[in-house]
Amino acid sequence: MIAAFRAEWVPLLRPRLLAGTLGAVVACAVLGTVLTFFSVGHRDFDGDPVTAAALSRPDGLLQGVQAVSILLGVVALSVVAASLAGDHSHGTLRNQLVAQPHRARLLAGKLLALSTFVVVIVAAATVVSVGLSFLLAPTRGVSTAAWSGGAGLAELGSGFVNLCLGSLGYAAIGALAAILLRGPAAAIAVALAYALPVEMLISRIYRPAHSWLPVQLMQEIATGGAAYAMPYADALLRGVLYAGVMLLLTLVIFRRRDMTA
Amino acid sequence: MNSGSATDPAHAHHRPADPPAASPAVMNGAAGVARSDTAIWTRGLTKRYGTRRAVDHLDLQVPRGALSGFVGPNGAGKSTTLRMLLGLLRPSAGHGHVLGEPITEPDRYLHRVGAMIEGPTFHPGLSGRRNLDQLAILRGIGGWHRARRQRRVEEVLGQVGLGERADDRFSSYSLGMKQRLGIAAALLPDPCLLILDEPTNGLDPAGIREIRALLGQLAGGGITVFVSSHLLTEVEQICDHLVMINGGRMLFQGHVTDLLAAEDPRILLIPEHDADARRLAGLLGDEGLRVEIDLRNGPPSASAAQGRWPVVTAHAPEGLAAHLNRLAMHAGITLRSLRAHRPNLEETFLRVTGEIDGDLVRSAQAGQEPDGSVPPPAGAGLDPAHRRGGAT
Repeated sequence: MIAAFRAEWVPLLRPRLLAGTLGAVVACAVLGTVLTFFSVGHRDFDGDPVTAAALSRPDGLLQGVQAVSILLGVVALSVVAASLAGDHSHGTLRNQLVAQPHRARLLAGKLLALSTFVVVIVAAATVVSVGLSFLLAPTRGVSTAAWSGGAGLAELGSGFVNLCLGSLGYAAIGALAAILLRGPAAAIAVALAYALPVEMLISRIYRPAHSWLPVQLMQEIATGGAAYAMPYADALLRGVLYAGVMLLLTLVIFRRRDMTA
Repeated sequence: MNSGSATDPAHAHHRPADPPAASPAVMNGAAGVARSDTAIWTRGLTKRYGTRRAVDHLDLQVPRGALSGFVGPNGAGKSTTLRMLLGLLRPSAGHGHVLGEPITEPDRYLHRVGAMIEGPTFHPGLSGRRNLDQLAILRGIGGWHRARRQRRVEEVLGQVGLGERADDRFSSYSLGMKQRLGIAAALLPDPCLLILDEPTNGLDPAGIREIRALLGQLAGGGITVFVSSHLLTEVEQICDHLVMINGGRMLFQGHVTDLLAAEDPRILLIPEHDADARRLAGLLGDEGLRVEIDLRNGPPSASAAQGRWPVVTAHAPEGLAAHLNRLAMHAGITLRSLRAHRPNLEETFLRVTGEIDGDLVRSAQAGQEPDGSVPPPAGAGLDPAHRRGGAT
C-alpha cells in the first residue's frame, strides 16, 4: 500500500495539475473571503444578516473559506474522479495492476494519496483565506482580537478539520463515480449532477432530507454544523457512515470487476 | 514440450466446432510433470461474455525459456487470454498456472512477470521517464533508494533505445516510441516471463529488427517470452514455439518447425510455352501426383507478351524436382522455371484460420478469369490462401 501511495504522487505532482488545482482552490478561497467581508451590513445566501460582530467572534476567521466549502468539495470530487477514472480511460490501470496485482492495496494506496492531496488543497485554501481575512478585517470594522486567542486557534483547528472531512466526503462520491463509470468526464458530470442540482432540489422541496442526503451531510460537516438546525455529531456520524459505505462499494467493485480497459 | 499439434492444422478450419484433440504431450502435462517445466500452463481456460465464448477451453503450455509466438486473427481471443494470465480478467471456467503459481493468485507471480497488453498505455502528461518511475515505485524497485530505482529506469530506457527522448511527454511520442516505452516498462522488474502484445506494432523496419534482436537476446538469457503478433514473418523468424488460436480455441501449439513440416510441399513448374501447361499437368498426373494449373502474374521485367504465365503445381516433395524436370525434358517441354515451395507460416496461418483478405480474394478471382490458352481444370486450383504471392 505504501508503494501505491508513493507511486500515486508521481501524476499528482505534475506541475500543470498542481498549479490548476491550487489555482482553483485559491480562487475559491479569495472569492469566498472577499464576498463574506464585503457582505457586512447585508444578508447572506440564506437570508441571514452578516455583521461585523459575528465575524469578530473566534469562529469568524474561517467564515470566508467555509462560505465556499461546497466549491472546495467540488474540486476534491473532480480531482479524485479524474484521477481514478483517468487511470481506466488511459489504460494505465492495467499496467499498475500488473505491477501491483493486490487490488485492495493498490486502491487503498491511491485513495490515501488522493486524500492527502485533498487535505493539502484545503490547507492551501484555508491559509489564503485566513491571510486575506486579516487583511480585509480592518476595512470592514471587524475585530481580529478573538481570532488569535486560544478560542480562535481552537476554532481554526476544528474548522479546518471540518472542511477537510466535508471535502473528503465529496471525494468519496467522486471515487465511487469513477470506479462505476470509468471515464473522467462521465464520472465528474454524474457525480456533480447528483451532488449539486439533484440533492439541492430534493432538500429544497423536502427540508427534512437535509438530515439524510449524503452531500447535504458533508456540507453540514464542512461548515461545522452551522448550516442547518441539526446536531453536528449526528451529521458527522451519518456522513462518516455514508463515506464508509461508498468506499466499501468502491473497493468491492474494484476488486471484483474484470479489467477490460 | 517437443512436439504436438493440439489440433491438426490441415483440417482445423473444416470442423471448428470440434473440441481440440489433445496431443500426447499435452496429456502428459496434465499429470503435473509438464506443468513444472512450463512457464504458462492452462487447462480448459474459458472466458464467456454472455453467451459468447471469447476463450474456449484453452489448454496452453508454454515451455520455460522459450520464445513463443501467440498468433490468431483479430478477435481470436489472444488479448483475453493474456489478460486472464495477468489476473486482469477472471476466467469463467478452467484453471492455469503461471511460473508455477495459480492464475487465481496473480500477486504470487506477477512480480516476476513483465507485460505489455493491447498497446502501450501511459499517462500522457508525464514524460516517459516519469511514467517508468511511477511503475518502478509501484513494483518496489530499489525500495526507498531513489538512485537504484533511477538506475534501473535508465537501464531499460537504454535497452529499448529511448534514452534521448525519455524526458519528453508521452503524448508527444510517435507510435514506435510508445511501443518502446511499453517494452521498457515490461522489462522493469527484470522478469522471468515477458508477455508482449504486438510489440512491433508501429515500429519502422529498423525498429522491428532491434526489437527482434532484443527478444532473441532476452530469450537467450533464459527469459520466457510469450509474444502475440500479427507479423507472422517475424514470428516465424524469431519464435521457436508457437501457439495458434482462432475463435478462442486452440488450433496448434508446438514448435514452429513441426507445424511447417506438416504442411504440403509443392513443386512449381512454369513451361516456356503456355500451350504446354496442360500437357505437362497431364504428364505429372500420370505419375500419380496431384496437379493444379494456376495463372500467375509474371515479374515486371518479364519479356512475355501477356505477363501472365500458367503455373503447374505438383504436390510433391522437393526431392522429386529433378525427376519432374527430366520428365518434362523427355516430353519435349522446356521449363522456364522450376522451384520447390513449402508454405510459410503466413500461408499456413491463413489456411488454418480460413482468413482471406481483400487482396487474396482479388487474386483468387483473377486466377479464375477465362483464358483461352490455359483454362483452369474443373475442380482444381489452389485454395485462396495459397494464391498469395506469385511463386515463380
